[in-house]
Amino acid sequence: MEGLKGMNIATGRHCSHLFSGALVLLALFAVICLPVPAPAAQDCRFCHDEPLYRVDFNKSIHAGNGCTSCHVGITDVEKHRDGKEKPAPVDCGSCHQEIAKEYRNNFHYIQEDFQCSDCHRNIHAIRQDKDRNVKLAIIEKCTECHGNADYTTSGHGEAVLKGNQDAAACSDCHGLHNTRVFHTSLEQYPAEARDFYTQKCKRCHADSAMMTRNNLSDKMVAYYEGTYHGKVQELGYPAPVAGCGDCHTKHNILPKEDPRSSIHPDNLEANCGRCHAGFHARFLSYQAHPDYTDRDKYPALYITFLFMGALLIGTLAFFWVHTILWWRKVYWEQDRMEREGVVPPSVHATGEGLQQVERFSVKYRIMHVLLVLSFFTLVLTGFPLKYAGTEWAATLTRLWGGAHMAGLFHRGAAFLLIVGMTYVSIESLRFLFPKGEGRKGWLGRLLGPDSLFPNLKDLQDFKGMLRWFFNKGEPPKFDRWTYWEKFDFLAVFWGMFAIGGSGILLWKPEWSSYLVPGWVMNIAALVHSEEALLAALFIFTIHFFNTHFIPNKFPMDRLIFTGTYRLEELKEQRPLEYERLMAEGRLESMKRGHPSIPLKLISATFGLGSLLLGLFLTVTILWSVLFG
Amino acid sequence: MSRKNLIGLIVPAALILITALAACSKPQEAPPPWKVVDASTLRAMMASDKELPVFNTMSELECLDHRIPGTKCLSCEEVENSPNTVLPPDKDRVIVFYCESAGCYRSCRAADAAVKAGYRQVHVLEGGMPAWKQAGYSMETIERVPRGSIQSLRAQALKQMLAERKDLLLVDVRSEKSYKEGHIEGALNIPLYRFSSGYAVIPLDRTVVLVDDRGFRTFLAGSYLEMKGYRVMRLFGGMEAWQEMQAKKQ
Repeated sequence: MEGLKGMNIATGRHCSHLFSGALVLLALFAVICLPVPAPAAQDCRFCHDEPLYRVDFNKSIHAGNGCTSCHVGITDVEKHRDGKEKPAPVDCGSCHQEIAKEYRNNFHYIQEDFQCSDCHRNIHAIRQDKDRNVKLAIIEKCTECHGNADYTTSGHGEAVLKGNQDAAACSDCHGLHNTRVFHTSLEQYPAEARDFYTQKCKRCHADSAMMTRNNLSDKMVAYYEGTYHGKVQELGYPAPVAGCGDCHTKHNILPKEDPRSSIHPDNLEANCGRCHAGFHARFLSYQAHPDYTDRDKYPALYITFLFMGALLIGTLAFFWVHTILWWRKVYWEQDRMEREGVVPPSVHATGEGLQQVERFSVKYRIMHVLLVLSFFTLVLTGFPLKYAGTEWAATLTRLWGGAHMAGLFHRGAAFLLIVGMTYVSIESLRFLFPKGEGRKGWLGRLLGPDSLFPNLKDLQDFKGMLRWFFNKGEPPKFDRWTYWEKFDFLAVFWGMFAIGGSGILLWKPEWSSYLVPGWVMNIAALVHSEEALLAALFIFTIHFFNTHFIPNKFPMDRLIFTGTYRLEELKEQRPLEYERLMAEGRLESMKRGHPSIPLKLISATFGLGSLLLGLFLTVTILWSVLFG
Repeated sequence: MSRKNLIGLIVPAALILITALAACSKPQEAPPPWKVVDASTLRAMMASDKELPVFNTMSELECLDHRIPGTKCLSCEEVENSPNTVLPPDKDRVIVFYCESAGCYRSCRAADAAVKAGYRQVHVLEGGMPAWKQAGYSMETIERVPRGSIQSLRAQALKQMLAERKDLLLVDVRSEKSYKEGHIEGALNIPLYRFSSGYAVIPLDRTVVLVDDRGFRTFLAGSYLEMKGYRVMRLFGGMEAWQEMQAKKQ
């Protein structure tokens, strides 16, 4: 330290008796006004003379920086030498700002107060090496502390060690400077962790280029997203459903052929058993990544997919054409009447024509209201799951109070519908086999005018309607039920078997496995989803139109809520029924008072509200089908 | 008839509404007997009252390694054992406790003891040190323990290793009370709050396996021992993981 004598390093001034007074003044000015220069690297190395600082540092990536770029706060080397002045803690974030920002939420900082140098221990000798296997270096660093047994036996670990740069190293899933606070032993944030890691898996496994060059399928993510697990997960409210790691485990990720793999057939029972309890062994044939379009691998699923698609497209296409033709005819007909000044008799009915007659009894009106409520609840809770990736689905689910709550409402509404359906079935049987009559004449009742079962007249009526649509004749005369009303009724029956049956199977899949194998759940999910789409679109476009939006009833027909209409309307819409009632002398017993104002108001509000909600949902669903 | 119709419409609607409301309401928990402050409020409180007693309830070892600047080290065991001796004499003085984790388990225990001892202005930092750090506020280091490479063992692996190796020494760093309630057979109890004075009894020729409650606190203690020349490992997930493994076997 002798050499330092006489040298005022703190100011960097070299005093000499040779300088003139003016220069001393100038130097003093510099002391006062100019910033204090930090000690130079050679000053530091005078004491810190290890090869690390003298040799390695000069070759390191930070060589261009002086010691005091990082070790700030030394103003006087002598004071520092005497231990009176210590440098401030190194703040790497003063240059590496982005990393410092990320690191603020890093688990290692939050929980263990790691500083940069705790991982970057060789900071003074760190070099930039383009040929370095970064992934391998990361693995080596992390496994200094974290037991590597799990990871190194995994497919990812093995691939990285073999030099595959696509395979995931620690940081690809856990982040590097932004390692999240999802401590596995605490499991404090299981939902967030599940979502976070599932997104990490998806990022690579949905990357077509990466999957193709590694001889893996890039569709696995999409197939998973089509399942109940994937949809609930995607809704962003991960109720306890399986994310990737729940089945493939956290580190032990191996192909299913490997006996150590969690998805190896021998390990499936324990694997699924982590979430599901009390299932039969055949439950395990459920496909977590089903491909509906793979005819060879999943023939039953493929056939169901084709059938449901054909049913959906066929039914909608048929009725949409029917509706368009009908609307055309009625609109043109109304235009003609408007021009000619013709008013339908039901509009200016007088006297007897004003008499209200009952079409729907209180019981059936209540049932329709319950059906509307349960149907909307089912649609509003089920469709967010069907279109889980959309914004509206997430918003709607939030309104329900999360996916779990939405699921409870869905089941509640389904229960209501099942009860209603059972009641209708009992009513139908009573209609066919009334007390006292038994089986006698049941076929006549089944095909009779009061039955909702289709008969030959319906075929004739349909033909008649077609002729009328094309201006080839008068519209057919209807009896109590038109063929489209019968279709509406029977469609609900079929729908209940398809949606209700599949829904009950899916309700408690573990119990269902005692009835059917797990792969039937895949079919049930497909049927439930596609039939729901058919039902919703049918009700919101076809039923709404046939019953309410047809120009002569627009915007709504309140009949189903008030239960009565004018005698003149009965005559006009259902002449055969009117004639039957007259002939059988039953008309008198069908006469009712005019509906009250409160009932009309409630009917209008509920009815129009339902129609608007249905239309809104139609737009939303169609948007999701076409652009989702 | 119309009244009947009305009932038919209103009853189902009301039923659904009631179900929805019932489902949304949650039972309320009783509030704790202390006040909760967030990081920015605490910072403001400390700025306006330079003498404000703010206590880090972790062990001295952990507290000296990193703490909120200007706060004091006072482990929650010390507060529980003798609150009147270690806390300020004025029971109306505002006092604040905080701890290492967001769960504030230890600061709550200390706060509970202080309230029971008659302190009327007890506060707890909401979210603990993580909240302080995430707010971007600086920390203070008095005696930093250099971080080591401390391997963690899963409970199953430890069990197997204990059967195979005789040089292992289990050191349970939980409180005396937790240790008495149950520990791994053969474990030595050196609670963290007096670790720096108690560690010397560990023989240097043994490989130490540190055990805590949940696996959060053994890393720093392990680094400390490594610095002192020991070979150290730690139990991943702590006693919780060990007990879970034992329960699964049964």
